[in-house]
Amino acid sequence: MLSVLRQVLWRRRISTLWWSLGVAGFAALLALAYPTVRDNSELDKTFAGLPPGVQAALGLDPGSPLTSPVGYMNSQYFANVLPVMLLVFGIGLAAWCISGDEAAGTLELLLSNPVSRIRVAAERASSLVVLLAVLTLVSSATMALLAPAVGLSKGLSLGQIVAATTATGLLALSFASLAFAVGAATGRRSIAISTASTVALVGFVIEGLAAQVKVLQPIREASPWHWLLGTDPLRNGLTWQAWVLPVTVSVVLFVIGTAVFARRDLS
Amino acid sequence: MQPSIATMELTKRFGKLTAVSGLSIEVGPGEVVGFLGPNGAGKTTTIRLLMGFIQPTSGVANVLGGSAAREGAIRRRVGYLPGDFRIDPAMTGNELFSWFGELRQNYNRARIGELVERLHLDPGRAFGTLSKGNRQKIGLVQAFQHDPDVLILDEPTSGLDPLIQREFLDLIREAADRGASVLFSSHVLPEVERAAHKLAIIREGKLVTVSPVRQLLDRARHRLELRFAAPINAELFKGVPGVVEAEVRGDTATIAVDGAVGPAMEAALRGPGLLRVRSAGDDLEDLFISLYDQAPEVN
Repeated sequence: MLSVLRQVLWRRRISTLWWSLGVAGFAALLALAYPTVRDNSELDKTFAGLPPGVQAALGLDPGSPLTSPVGYMNSQYFANVLPVMLLVFGIGLAAWCISGDEAAGTLELLLSNPVSRIRVAAERASSLVVLLAVLTLVSSATMALLAPAVGLSKGLSLGQIVAATTATGLLALSFASLAFAVGAATGRRSIAISTASTVALVGFVIEGLAAQVKVLQPIREASPWHWLLGTDPLRNGLTWQAWVLPVTVSVVLFVIGTAVFARRDLS
Repeated sequence: MQPSIATMELTKRFGKLTAVSGLSIEVGPGEVVGFLGPNGAGKTTTIRLLMGFIQPTSGVANVLGGSAAREGAIRRRVGYLPGDFRIDPAMTGNELFSWFGELRQNYNRARIGELVERLHLDPGRAFGTLSKGNRQKIGLVQAFQHDPDVLILDEPTSGLDPLIQREFLDLIREAADRGASVLFSSHVLPEVERAAHKLAIIREGKLVTVSPVRQLLDRARHRLELRFAAPINAELFKGVPGVVEAEVRGDTATIAVDGAVGPAMEAALRGPGLLRVRSAGDDLEDLFISLYDQAPEVN
């Protein structure tokens, strides 16, 4: 059962361990740095003086200053560090799933066995979900463990931390699914990685600028960044927008990529 | 009897390049067919069409009466070795064999142990740490481990030392004896000669000939090096039937003969004391050359 999925998890066990340590390390670092920020109200004044666009790009909003738990976590972690880590991990793994394995010359050998291309695509995509979930869990657990000790839990429940982390994981899944689909459809790992990274970066910039630039506001409605940052799950919990949209986009991308992969010539 | 491997008017184009053109070959149960041709002739493309990795532009590539591309049940009965066999460098032979055994729902530990022993393979070492020859052995074990009904092998002996090559030829023969069909591509004529019943030769994507091995070899160009007791006359082999090239240097003559070698030997016996005859090995290139020269009568 699920032997293609299990093989990926086994193959990735060491690198997943390192990624988990990295995520836990960053989460711990940010949590432990909070006490020094918490008591520094000068920082709030400095940031309040910045243009609203810059504040938005930093994950700040007027309702939650940097020194508050929500403001600190959003601006220092959920709007940048965590998404970037999960995106790098997710896009890299997703591009490997079909196109990386194909470029390495090892996919055909697997497909010489009685496994269909659709099954390989489905189990590999599942491995992406599982491993992203592992990192999400590691991040949530680290934050949950340290938050009470450093005063980050004031006004923040465990559920809110988990909601924000999950929403960030889903953002990474959306862009990783793009890398998966492009890789599956083209067989080109470099195109898969560059397409997903470019779209993620452009989306991030648009989300930051849209606070100021009216023209961009309709565009950002279609961006996973807006579904994450615009819904502020750290404050509001996991609203439907923060999970239905990224899940739908991921499924659609998977189906399109796999449909092309199932019919095309391998390279 | 229905052939286990059959291509009919198989054609594959990549853009403007026609890699395989109107190719029809068949391999019956218990039959071993050597698939020969120069680099870029379309051997690997044909094999990938049979395995379903790429779709034919036109024509049919059937394995066990169906499409390996669409039917997993067919692939379960196929052993496949790619021309460039590679797996995850961190994976060991044992890990691969049990994984593929699981995927094929046929994990025969005893058979794997036997193959590992016969090929002198250390199955516990990571693929990335192995030499070319040992990597190839892992490829051979995974192709044979489930005793498939069809074996499709792309350059199976590349990197193997002569002792292991012989073991491999035995494996092929045993597979054929129990009724399996074998199609394997190669550059090395002696190994094909020992293992195959028939040779299929392709060039530029087109079939040049399918013939019993012996019949082809009898017609093939043959190189001989002859050493005499004394320097010989440069004219010794002139006009001798079958001799297409003769180079004389002191007491040694190197000749190339198409077809029967008898007249050339008779001529040699007229020389000044024939000491030694060395057959310079049947070069595949020579076989191709003589075949292409004779192409009209071959077809």
